[in-house]
Amino acid sequence: MYSRDLDGKTYTFGVSGKLWRDALLMYDHQTRSLWSHITGEAIQGPLKGKRLKMLASMPQIAWKTWQTNYPNTSVLSVPFRGSMRESLSRDSYQRYHTSQDTGVSGTEYTDDRLPNKSLVIGVQVQTKDGAPGRDGADGQDGADGGRGGDGGDGGAGGRGGDGGQDGTAGQDGAPGRSGNFDPYNTQFRAYPLTHFAETTVINDMVGEVPLLIFHDKVSFATAVFKRNVAKDVRNFRSQDGHFVEDNTGTRWNLVTGAATSGKDKGKRLERLPAVNIYWFAWARYYPQTTIYRQ
Amino acid sequence: MKNYTLILILLLATISCASAEDHQDYSDDKIRTLLPFDAIPAITEPQFVSAGAAKLDPDAPVIGVTFNDESHAYSLYLLNGHEIVNDVVGGLNIATTW
Repeated sequence: MYSRDLDGKTYTFGVSGKLWRDALLMYDHQTRSLWSHITGEAIQGPLKGKRLKMLASMPQIAWKTWQTNYPNTSVLSVPFRGSMRESLSRDSYQRYHTSQDTGVSGTEYTDDRLPNKSLVIGVQVQTKDGAPGRDGADGQDGADGGRGGDGGDGGAGGRGGDGGQDGTAGQDGAPGRSGNFDPYNTQFRAYPLTHFAETTVINDMVGEVPLLIFHDKVSFATAVFKRNVAKDVRNFRSQDGHFVEDNTGTRWNLVTGAATSGKDKGKRLERLPAVNIYWFAWARYYPQTTIYRQ
Repeated sequence: MKNYTLILILLLATISCASAEDHQDYSDDKIRTLLPFDAIPAITEPQFVSAGAAKLDPDAPVIGVTFNDESHAYSLYLLNGHEIVNDVVGGLNIATTW
């Protein structure tokens, strides 16, 4: 999920039909530059070297769980064989998911720290606050490619929490606080889904950033948050489904990121971009990634 | 003749090693054309229905996004055939990619 705005212009994207590192490349209709949809970086064309700002989303979730949490949601509807459809009855990539095949053409790339087709949650964390000004030096050219997630879920800060109070002030959102992608201060970590057999949460620390990794194997919901409320770092434990409790007794809904009861009711955790991705693909794009181990 | 053959073999071996290495480095990051542009049609003018009107299996996997009180859900199975949705959610111009 990316912003289509870059350097004051808005772009639209199509599918180039080209592959790079076994993933399709997007192209923008305005300049026909080619973009990786894994990293958001233009790798060829007039915008080569630019990065799209990655936005936080729910990369996958069961429809009923999403609808319960966002009853006013709209649903994409697409013409298909003469009628409008909101879904298809089955996954056209089903065979691919269950096979050992890697990539569209079958990659030879292997990082044997995990089996190729292990599903992981991939997280990139800006471990220091963005350093505006240094980007010119490494060619990142201020492309507003903030990957630390700050600002990514910016809009969420404005959502009225159940408490009605603006508990989110200074905590979530902060639109405009988007740092520039800084490769020297970005860490990558993969969380194998196998860790979520008995729990829905992992409390982790990447660099100095306290992270909460959430995955519910029933709804397949995945989310990554900073696990601090202001400067107070919390520890979370599974409760039921997408509800968890922290060490202050505050109960949180990790689909919305909002506290539903307890002293922080109405506050929201800051959400970071996260992907569900096969290990071979994550490792190929980010070979420097670490793997979470219990 | 024997020496000459040996030199030739060594030379060829060296070249083939070097080229194999070059080839590997190169092909690893090579852009390959699988399909023409837009053979997979990205969505540029998405249409939506309300949650109540949506025909979706309760367990169907969707991507969910919410900004500024506006939420959109996209069926993953639909996105298989489109890969990209150019959308506007809560005033933000976004590209949902799959």
